[in-house]
Amino acid sequence: MTENASSVPDARHQIPLPAARRGRRKSLTAWLFITPAFLFYAAFVLVPLIMSLYYSFLRWDGIGEARFHGLTNYITVLTDSDLLQIIGNAFQLVLYFTIIPVGLGLAVASAIRGQMNGRFGMATRTILFLPQVIPLVAAGIAWSWMFASTGLVNQALKSVGLSSWVKGWLGDFVWALPAVGVIGAWVLLGLCTMLLVTGITKIDTSLYEAARLDGARPWHEFRYITLPGLRQEIGVCITVTVIAALASFDIVYISTQGGPGITTTVPGLEIYRLAFAHRQVGLASALAIVLMVLVLLSIAPVQWFTRDKK
Amino acid sequence: MAGLSLKSLHKTYGKVEVIKGVDLEIEDGEFVVFVGPSGCGKSTLLRMIAGLEDITGGELYIGDKLCNDVEPRDRSIAMVFQSYALYPHMTVYDNVGFGLKLAKTPKDVRDQKIREAARILKMEHLLDRKPGQLSGGQRQRVAIGRAIVRQPEVFLFDEPLSNLDAALRVDTRMEIAKLHADLGATMIYVTHDQVEAMTLADKIVVLDAGVVQQVGSPIELYQRPQNLFVAGFIGSPKMNFVEVAVEAVDGDTVTVASKDVASLRIPANSTSLNIGDKLTLGIRPHDLLPASNGAIVGRVSLVERLGNETIVNLELSSGAAWLAVLEGDQPLRIGESLILSAEPQKAILFDRNGLALLRAA
Ligand SMILES: Nc1ncnc2c1ncn2[C@@H]1O[C@H](COP(=O)(O)OP(=O)(O)O)[C@@H](O)[C@H]1O
Ligand SMILES: [Mg+2]
Repeated sequence: MTENASSVPDARHQIPLPAARRGRRKSLTAWLFITPAFLFYAAFVLVPLIMSLYYSFLRWDGIGEARFHGLTNYITVLTDSDLLQIIGNAFQLVLYFTIIPVGLGLAVASAIRGQMNGRFGMATRTILFLPQVIPLVAAGIAWSWMFASTGLVNQALKSVGLSSWVKGWLGDFVWALPAVGVIGAWVLLGLCTMLLVTGITKIDTSLYEAARLDGARPWHEFRYITLPGLRQEIGVCITVTVIAALASFDIVYISTQGGPGITTTVPGLEIYRLAFAHRQVGLASALAIVLMVLVLLSIAPVQWFTRDKK
Repeated sequence: MAGLSLKSLHKTYGKVEVIKGVDLEIEDGEFVVFVGPSGCGKSTLLRMIAGLEDITGGELYIGDKLCNDVEPRDRSIAMVFQSYALYPHMTVYDNVGFGLKLAKTPKDVRDQKIREAARILKMEHLLDRKPGQLSGGQRQRVAIGRAIVRQPEVFLFDEPLSNLDAALRVDTRMEIAKLHADLGATMIYVTHDQVEAMTLADKIVVLDAGVVQQVGSPIELYQRPQNLFVAGFIGSPKMNFVEVAVEAVDGDTVTVASKDVASLRIPANSTSLNIGDKLTLGIRPHDLLPASNGAIVGRVSLVERLGNETIVNLELSSGAAWLAVLEGDQPLRIGESLILSAEPQKAILFDRNGLALLRAA
């Protein structure tokens, strides 16, 4: 092994190639290395994407004959009031899926900074990460039970004397979407906390000490050291959670199936329904493309704000 | 301006006692250096003064004020950290001005103070940069600048030079000395490097294992170390030691000898000595001279020629390894035997407990 490895650069020295040829050989090697990964990427990402784009201009039931349909599908997506509400639902979920986990994660990370290596920090991290290892489907089912009329949430409300608040949360026209949001927040809290706690351990503790000597209160330490120090981790959390909200499917499918009415229907669920129940593959594809563009548009500013400024 | 007074300070982590009762007076405007080997508790003591570590026992006065439970920001101190601890996302300007900003200093006053500090430290051209764009020496300046703008009564430095290369270290050392002369503030400086301690300090505090071994001026510590630890720690190269026995006691001189050392009459406090007592003899490498009638004989095991002086490693017949620093370039060969004489006035005897038997000064 070692002999081989060391003989390679030697061989290069012995037969110097003209610069141009050496450059071409180098880039050829690079392409060869990229090819397998690129083939996978093309087969499983690019091709389906292009196919979706193609379908989105068709009127097609998925089996029979397809007809070119122009931009009609897109016009439907952007004007149909139900579809607009469904897209709006996804953005409402962002509030729960993103703000709660990132906010709580930051609070937890700041609170257990310092005790990170102690038993307390370890326990906190494990407990908070637990939801992450539970399959989403199981989480959805568990929460469905908890939100049911006789479930844990209502029992808890009764026991503290708030009987008037008791309701079937996931069947309520007003409360179903927030309830779904809470499930998502619970699932994503672990991931965000884990990322933020790990990130905060990498911040030099003497920065906090220097700040204390400079007269910083806890709020200043958070504002001027923790937040900027965690910028990239916060960026990752926001990116992941925004995508989880906008492209959500499984939690909604398990807990409410999109109901009551369409109050909790999200684009992911609607795409599935349109394509497989209503046999409107073209419209489903157009909605998928619009969803993808919306995700990219929402993520771009996050990436821009949290990029590593030098 | 303020002096400090440490009264029986203790620090324990769980069951481990790290600072074991430190009593110390620091005068207003003094440059005090805490020196000692790694892990002896220097940083801990400094951080207790800064308020970054709780004081387990004892009292800390800054000026006349008992500061045990005073927040760091209210102690009128500033600290320069070993890692510099510059806020990475702020420019140099904002780093230096951060404390003033938190203290709600008006913007124009703040600006003027920041620029004044930058002028003193010759870093005006760096103000718009971020710490990531600075060299080690420049970061050091910014860290000192951040301390200066707050106009503290006491400056604390924790090994501020240890991340710099050798040449820069000497320059920065001189600049810190100059800063002390200019500002006249009390400064406490932690280092494990006894050369830094000797060159900077008005007063050196030698620490070992959480206990103050000796407090004194650099020359005092060099000439009159109170125990074996201080004798071995202060001075470079290290003091030579060898076991000897008392041959005769005569007023305030003691004659000692051993396998390695022919009779040597040394001025010492002889009150509790008897003939035959075992002592440790200490002689500094610079106090040895080649002399055919000398008392010490060793075999040359290594010669380092520096041009202006020659450092000779010797092996005495008992196996003790000694160093001698000789004037000029000496024509010595490895393996040959070398006879050295020592100035008795400069030799020091230590008793069984390692305490120096110094004559009253
Ligand atoms: N947070 C801590 N918990 C337990 N022991 C500590 C802690 N900080 C320092 N120590 C111990 O205290 C001793 C002194 O440390 P320190 O003051 O950093 O030494 P120095 O600065 O002289 O090298 C060391 O033995 C170190 O292991
Ligand atoms: Mg230290």
